[in-house]
Amino acid sequence: MPEGTPSGFDPIAMEVFSNRLLTITEEMGITLIRGSFSPNIKERQDCSVALFDRRGRLISQASHIPMHLGALEGGVETILAKYSLDDIRDGDVFMCNDAYLAGGTHSPDITIVTPIFCGGRLRFFATNLGHHSDVGGSTPGSVSPTAQTIFDEGLRIPLVRVMRAGTLDEDVLSFVTSNSREPEDRAFDLKVQIAANDRGRRLVQDLVSAHSIEEVERSVDDLLAYTERRLRARIAALDDGSSTFATWLDDDGFGGDPVRIQATVTVSGSDLTVDFEGTGPQARGAYNMPKAALNATVYYCVKTMLDPELLPNDGMAAAVTIKAPDGSLAKPEFPGAVGMRSCTAQPFSGAIIGAFNELLPSDRQMASGNDAMPALVVSGQSRRRPGTYVYVETIGGGSGSMCDLDGADGTHVHITNSSNLPAEALENEYPLLVEEYCLIPDSCGAGRQRGGLGIAREIRVLDEGTFFYANSEKTVIHPTGLMGGKDGSNARIIVNPGTAEEEILKANQPGKVVQKGTSIRLETPGGAGYGPCEDRRDEAIRDDILEEKTTLEFAREHYGRDKADATWSSP
Amino acid sequence: MGYRIGFDVGGTFTDFTIINDESGVVDYFKVSSTPDDPSAAIESGLASLIENLEISPDQVSHLGHGTTVATNMAIERKGARTGLMTTRGFRDVLEIGRQTRPHLYNYRVRRPEPLIPRHLRLEIDERILADGSVHRPLDENAVRAAARRLVESDIEAVVICFLHSYRNPSHERRAREILAEELPGVYVSLSSEVLPEFREFERLSTTVLNAYMGPRMQRYLEKLLTRVKGLGISANLDTVHSNGGLMSVATVREMPVRTCVSGPAAGVIGAAEVGRTAGFRNLVTFDVGGTSTDVSIIVDGQPLFASDRTVAGFPVRTPMVDIHVIGAGGGSIAAVDDAGSLKVGPKSAGAVPGPVAYDRGGTAPTITDANIVLGRLDQHSLLDGRLLINAAGARAVIQDKVAGPLGIDLEDAAYGILRIAAANMNRAIHAVSTEKGHDIREFALIAYGGAGPLHAADLAREAGINTIIVPREPGTLCARGILLSDITMDFVRSELMLATPDIWREVIAVLRGMHDKAEAWLTRELVPDSERRIETMIDARYDGQNYELAVVVRDLAKLSVDGFVAEFKDRHKREYGYDIEGRAVEIVNCRVRAVGRIEKAHSRLEGVGGEDPKTGERNAFFGREIGWRQTPVLRRERLPAGMEIQGPAIVEEMSSTTVIHPSQQVIVDEFGNLIITRSAPHEEALENA
Repeated sequence: MPEGTPSGFDPIAMEVFSNRLLTITEEMGITLIRGSFSPNIKERQDCSVALFDRRGRLISQASHIPMHLGALEGGVETILAKYSLDDIRDGDVFMCNDAYLAGGTHSPDITIVTPIFCGGRLRFFATNLGHHSDVGGSTPGSVSPTAQTIFDEGLRIPLVRVMRAGTLDEDVLSFVTSNSREPEDRAFDLKVQIAANDRGRRLVQDLVSAHSIEEVERSVDDLLAYTERRLRARIAALDDGSSTFATWLDDDGFGGDPVRIQATVTVSGSDLTVDFEGTGPQARGAYNMPKAALNATVYYCVKTMLDPELLPNDGMAAAVTIKAPDGSLAKPEFPGAVGMRSCTAQPFSGAIIGAFNELLPSDRQMASGNDAMPALVVSGQSRRRPGTYVYVETIGGGSGSMCDLDGADGTHVHITNSSNLPAEALENEYPLLVEEYCLIPDSCGAGRQRGGLGIAREIRVLDEGTFFYANSEKTVIHPTGLMGGKDGSNARIIVNPGTAEEEILKANQPGKVVQKGTSIRLETPGGAGYGPCEDRRDEAIRDDILEEKTTLEFAREHYGRDKADATWSSP
Repeated sequence: MGYRIGFDVGGTFTDFTIINDESGVVDYFKVSSTPDDPSAAIESGLASLIENLEISPDQVSHLGHGTTVATNMAIERKGARTGLMTTRGFRDVLEIGRQTRPHLYNYRVRRPEPLIPRHLRLEIDERILADGSVHRPLDENAVRAAARRLVESDIEAVVICFLHSYRNPSHERRAREILAEELPGVYVSLSSEVLPEFREFERLSTTVLNAYMGPRMQRYLEKLLTRVKGLGISANLDTVHSNGGLMSVATVREMPVRTCVSGPAAGVIGAAEVGRTAGFRNLVTFDVGGTSTDVSIIVDGQPLFASDRTVAGFPVRTPMVDIHVIGAGGGSIAAVDDAGSLKVGPKSAGAVPGPVAYDRGGTAPTITDANIVLGRLDQHSLLDGRLLINAAGARAVIQDKVAGPLGIDLEDAAYGILRIAAANMNRAIHAVSTEKGHDIREFALIAYGGAGPLHAADLAREAGINTIIVPREPGTLCARGILLSDITMDFVRSELMLATPDIWREVIAVLRGMHDKAEAWLTRELVPDSERRIETMIDARYDGQNYELAVVVRDLAKLSVDGFVAEFKDRHKREYGYDIEGRAVEIVNCRVRAVGRIEKAHSRLEGVGGEDPKTGERNAFFGREIGWRQTPVLRRERLPAGMEIQGPAIVEEMSSTTVIHPSQQVIVDEFGNLIITRSAPHEEALENA
């Protein structure tokens, strides 16, 4: 047994129960995804489920995107702060979304919390959150970079009961759904969220009755202690020390200068601290990071850099301390808007990973990836049905290179991993034409290992009076190379590329209405390189040119004219 | 008198099942596979069968075969050098895919490299719109130039995939004509023929696999046919494809991608048939091999189908039996990590070096080693004496690498490995069944594959399943399933339109056209009229959704738009618990399945008895509370129908070992299946402790 293992620890029972608890959260997750109506939850899987114990410790989570890692604790924490356990009855179900009143992540994410009673006593909580495509506010979708306060971002739901002692409160439900542009979809999805928790409740109760509450709680304690021990072992394997890395948000939603994002990672024995001191002030727009989003981003980076298979539970949090200065982008003050926090989380991930790199052995280091959430929104009159259509898509880019591996071409990185919409699906649904969807040659940062290539997506609007909004981080800031590797390319937003009317837009410009025939091209950043260019293998240089991923000119510029020419002309 | 022979080519063994059509008597046989030329093992196996059973080659009336040739080509990347012609602006669709990464946190895990490199993916000026109209005509000179470029690159196969070709295939067809002039004899796959279904990445990926597999699959089939003819057998050779049906050599040549999960699909068909005959219509299939476990769900006697599966990481959209692969098998490795936890898998010792007990160089403790230590598997030899066992080695490795580091006893460590393996498998099976909306506690478990019957009792207990079925010779069920398959082919066509009275005539016309195609195919496959059946389905969704539900059309002649919409709403309600008033319904795909029924023989178990089934006993371990028990060892072939046995017991046969726990009893049914049920709750609680 390794050091620090408590006596009486039963590794076999722990592993068996760990699987049983994961089975429960996975079943809850599948119930939620399968039953939900809106594409956001059903297809993009922008949702998560988790179990907590009665003390509010996260036991097990099925998270479909990293943005939700550990982000469900807000609801349970709020319940425990607001009520004593005696105030809660079997059959009560709670609902919340607010970043300031109930630990929410941003307003469209509605959390449902269901207390679980075993033998008449509250023992656990089943929770889930789903991204609802609209919860009211001034902008469709409830998220806008220029939202100035949380009041602009739709309905604020503090912690409220949506069920009391097993009875659904239709008044509360209708109050919430009536504040959405799509009340019917909201009602379906919220009911499915409640049902998913109820499934978790029954499965936990079955597990307890098949064994005993003592046995289950004992295994939970063992599991959390094990996770903490495992993460601490990873941390302790690193040398003590501290490392700081800074990157920037292009602007704060209202133009102006880039906003600094600075992370300092400190290893001290088996403790890890991530401190955002030095990060710029709270944004005027919606780019602020509420606590749940900041924690999720840190946990994502810890798992990625130290232990990708680490189970998300309270043991993960125990070894990690997170600090952020008040009134900063990393810890906004009420009523700062937070709707765009996913976009901010990308460069935050870049900053944390950048700081980690100096503390890690080379085989765990990673250069900056595209570290952005490039997005395209097009809206206009639907040809298929009365009313408007809204097409929203986020686009991947290049991932960062590692010491022995080029970055991946054309992929989502960090806290998101959502699918694209096939061109054929898009053209069947909307009056739009996809002109091109491709990798961008030469967009990578060169190096011993090159970064991944960014993606270009060009869409032509076919009807008059079409509204579009395109945005990306990294239009001014480059993904940063590592150990001598070169930076990746910038993102670019281009209207009518290759014509006399070609126009390059800055990030965070308000959307605009364009004429029929206008084409909009979004080019996403490529990943950065790792290691000096002179160390790149000839064969890799040749393959890239052969595959038309980099040009001969690119190879000449970065790897030297003579080497590039010799490599390319050799058989 | 005729004989029908089914054979399944696996990685280690090629399994045979032969049925005497008249008497219904079934025989089983196994030879080692010959991976470099799979047809060699088939030939030697067939030759031995004919000789051993003293039948003449012309008595063989039918051959059905399951093959992993296509799948292995994709996994090992040993298919043809393939080129692509596609719409300008879209050559990277194959590489970007859905732009997602396969592991959220581990950036070393990558999407597989595309089977066609970027410089062999050539773009052609042409564009068809979503409504099928031509936006830009096909640039025929560009096609010609591309063809010449592919010639220079020594291409063996070409994929042609243009946007919206599922709606208007004219550009793809014209490009093929030009290609035939420039590159005669090259293997060509058109996306509008392989899978005329919308969503370009999945259609392209499926078509690329098809072309990539085509040339080598043709060579394999030629060789196999020559060998079979050389034996004097003139019967037709059919191949099981991924939906569990059979198709002719001619169809396999054109559509090799459809054979991707050939063998496992036949296993599920066999399991469904065995279960139905034994009176169990809701089943979880549990096929445990050396490195992985295949599971699937059978509802009301019917396997479930899926068309969103991957092969070697590449999406394949042809309908397949919905089989999920779990990375746990006899070779899964048990390891203690640096924080003191015991994990089982996903790393596997595979067939080589294999478990320590097999003495082929394995050095890591595996699930099989745990079974040896606990006395569940014979500690001297397996496979009827063909495989000698090093039990001391198995004990030593579990002691040194698991029991020692955890500070527990040897048998507790080995038992723990099996408990954890069962918990892992249960978790994976739950994910499958929940996704389909079923509670498997109401299902029976049907266990097969070499190691299914060995782990079925542990899994059933963890999953709360009450009944286990172990068919005869469970190690060769896939070969037997081939003889229980029908001849089938699936046809699909994407037709995106809202279900309104105006377009209904068009939908019916499309479906009728597909019925004609299905009839023509059945004629080509020589299916007599009396054995034909055509099934019709329409995939549909609520307007605004992006996922579809399949609605079965019972009678095309009587189908009205209102009836269809009502049927869809009903289906949506059953599947998801609600329907939506006033929301339009959109048709997405029309689907037709042609079925040619094949006569199925079910042999009852007769002529068994007399010989004492008990061949000995051995000490087996059933958990700390019950401990070691002197357990009778029974020979499967000697168990007569109707025999009842109270656990603990171990039943051995050539291809498998079945473990019956002290809390269970077993009855041999009239077909020779073992039906295992829970009989002693008290003992079960002890086993669980």
